[in-house]
Amino acid sequence: MMQKKVCMLGGFAVGKTSLVRRFVTNMFSEHYQTTIGVTVEKKTVTVDHQDMMLMLWDLYGEDEFQHVRESYLRGSSGYILVLDGMRKATLDTAHMLQQTVVRTVGPLPFVAIINKSDLQSEWEIDQTIIEQLREQGWPVFFGSAKLGRGVEELFGHLATLLMDPSLQPRAHS
Amino acid sequence: MTSPSPLPSPSDTGLFNQVLSALDIALLEWEMNSGVLKLQGCAPMWWHEFPVASGAAILDLGHWSPFLRDFLTYVQQVWKDEPERTIASGPWTEPDQPNGTMTLEARALPLGPRKLVLIERLGSDFENMRSIVQRARERMLVEDSTAKSFRHTETRLIGQLEASERTKDDALALLQQLGLAAMVLDERGQVTFATDRTLEMLGLAARETLGRPWDQVFSFRKEDRLLMQHLLEGSTPTCSGGPFCLEGACTRWIELEIHRDVRHPTRHILVLNDRTEIHALRQALNEQASFHDLVGKSSAMLRVYQLVRDVAQVDTTVLIEGETGTGKELIARAIHSSSSRKNKPFIAANCAGLTDSILTSQLFGHKRGAFTGAIQDQQGLFEAAEGGTLFLDEIGDIPPQVQTALLRVLQEKEITRLGEAKPRAVNVRVLAATHHNLSEDVLRGSFRADLLYRIRIARVQLPPLRERREDIPLLAQSILGEICAATGKRVERLHPDTLRLLMSHSWPGNVRELKSAVEFAVISCKRNEVCPEDLPPEITAASVVPSSSVFIPLSNRDEKTRLLVALSEAKGNRTEAAKRLGISRATLYRRLVELDSQPH
Ligand SMILES: Nc1nc2c(ncn2[C@@H]2O[C@H](COP(=O)(O)OP(=O)(O)OP(=O)(O)O)[C@@H](O)[C@H]2O)c(=O)[nH]1
Ligand SMILES: [Mg+2]
Repeated sequence: MMQKKVCMLGGFAVGKTSLVRRFVTNMFSEHYQTTIGVTVEKKTVTVDHQDMMLMLWDLYGEDEFQHVRESYLRGSSGYILVLDGMRKATLDTAHMLQQTVVRTVGPLPFVAIINKSDLQSEWEIDQTIIEQLREQGWPVFFGSAKLGRGVEELFGHLATLLMDPSLQPRAHS
Repeated sequence: MTSPSPLPSPSDTGLFNQVLSALDIALLEWEMNSGVLKLQGCAPMWWHEFPVASGAAILDLGHWSPFLRDFLTYVQQVWKDEPERTIASGPWTEPDQPNGTMTLEARALPLGPRKLVLIERLGSDFENMRSIVQRARERMLVEDSTAKSFRHTETRLIGQLEASERTKDDALALLQQLGLAAMVLDERGQVTFATDRTLEMLGLAARETLGRPWDQVFSFRKEDRLLMQHLLEGSTPTCSGGPFCLEGACTRWIELEIHRDVRHPTRHILVLNDRTEIHALRQALNEQASFHDLVGKSSAMLRVYQLVRDVAQVDTTVLIEGETGTGKELIARAIHSSSSRKNKPFIAANCAGLTDSILTSQLFGHKRGAFTGAIQDQQGLFEAAEGGTLFLDEIGDIPPQVQTALLRVLQEKEITRLGEAKPRAVNVRVLAATHHNLSEDVLRGSFRADLLYRIRIARVQLPPLRERREDIPLLAQSILGEICAATGKRVERLHPDTLRLLMSHSWPGNVRELKSAVEFAVISCKRNEVCPEDLPPEITAASVVPSSSVFIPLSNRDEKTRLLVALSEAKGNRTEAAKRLGISRATLYRRLVELDSQPH
């Protein structure tokens, strides 16, 4: 079966672990336990009648305490940029991480998700910003790991991108 | 690890295993060609708990740890260029028994041709580090949300502030647009707000108004200031007062509405209404209807008012002629108070029925002992009126000797007290009045001609009331008002029938008689309206059988007959006929012409 490494990238506490947990085990916890290092989860998805094993690399959140090791990114087929709608600063982190990926591994297929849509009324990231992101070519999803909203669509969309041969990474040093 | 063969010799095996176990490290030899990882030495505790690790100590990487497989791929790539480099994997998590996770870290170690992989289970140091990072991140989240809620509150407050600023601006614009003169006083009575219109009315700039106490802003007279103070201290939520006079370059009259601010009852909102124009109009109206204390707007009276104004401008002696009760003294007072002497005394003396010596002493004063009873020096009225006006009523009744003395005073402008020899200079304007025909008195020899000419330099002739009947309603109403104010009785008006009776009476006693008739009526009156039966009987009776001398508006035919009868009775003498009818000669003439030109 085809295996694809997918990195979950984003600022701390944006919900990377929660999204993976919701997708893989359909569970959610309000309790925040920060990820140190990497946890790899697997889930098989079917795209165009073809099974694909997603190896989901749930990385630690990027901040002043931990910077993403470029070695973790190697071998990725795609990635998911996670933003917290409640914190505008996570947008800057996402931008920065995206550039790191491009620099390290090249322009991989990716999907951005603005998480915590169950609290959308308190969001700092507004429609204008989202429009700007879309204009930059970012596929932007809304979702809530808490409610399970938009999670399947998120991973499903990335999986279809990973199937598209035109989007596959070229060899990168 | 500089030895080319670092692996323990059989004799060191025991120690070697103890060290690995104490460090919780699994040591694997990596056969790079086959890709097989072989456990060396003793396995740590966690290794045995891990189900996928085979007892044969060969690790199936693909199944066991995708992370480790990925790491080793990476190591292979790096070693191609840097075969001597030790490479660390960084921490990663694997499932642990039961349902837990463990965090591991791998290190790839090249020892010459042999390649080792050490996998360490991260222990308490790692957990400490994790909990510090966890706490730091939680702290940052809390701070973030606090800052956010501050920002939220700030935004909301700024929004509210802006909204209220906008509302304030709108209200202000509205006020300015409406041209409303309004101001706000704080609890200390200081102006905190005033519209442009207010400033314009006060004739002040904003900086001269805001923050200043109201009594410095309103240039009120003392009595107005006290009244305003009283209104502000009152307990009613809304009251009004005025007109108040704002003194300044151009005097303004304003009325004030004073509202307590419902939100802060110690503050006041004042609305100012400019009443200057209305005040001026009212004054003009009053002036037309009355002049000083004289009431009436008949053409005869308007002529009198003009005459009074004219003679007030000069300082000559004036003779006021008029029947008894026509208000000659009022005319004298009006002349005085319109003249430049208005701030000096006005003294009125009635010369009728006084003996020679009493009148002389009264007018000129006397020296002590000048006559029996003259117990001390006494100044006379001339001296008392120094600088002002002396009004001599019934001048026609002055005895001849006094006439002589008076003439001398008028010529010399000095008086001599009775019993004194030395004259004293006086500066007094003399106004004289009489109901006599003084010319006739001169002819009869009872009045000195030279004195007459001396006092008749200017003349004011007051018409009798019957010649200005149109003033009767105004006069009666004004008298009614005065009486009610004096007695406290509330009689508001005169019944039309009462008025009709008053209009038809001949009033030989003129205004004085009218006044006593209204007084009488008010005393008798039981309602708030004077009815005919309240009037004195002579007036009611006269109406039943009208006297021949009374002019009553009748039908034109009747009137003409009456006028003609009167003329024939007076043998064609129009003056006499007019007298009989109780109208002026001019009126008689005018009515005759009018009736003649009307169709019968
Ligand atoms: N309301 C809400 N809370 C969420 C959602 N997703 C995650 N959370 C909460 O956000 C916090 C952080 O979630 P994690 O999934 O641990 O975030 P992370 O990105 O893995 O964080 P790091 O590992 O520290 O980088 C936890 O308290 C979650 O319960 C969501 O969709 N809605
Ligand atoms: Mg996490």
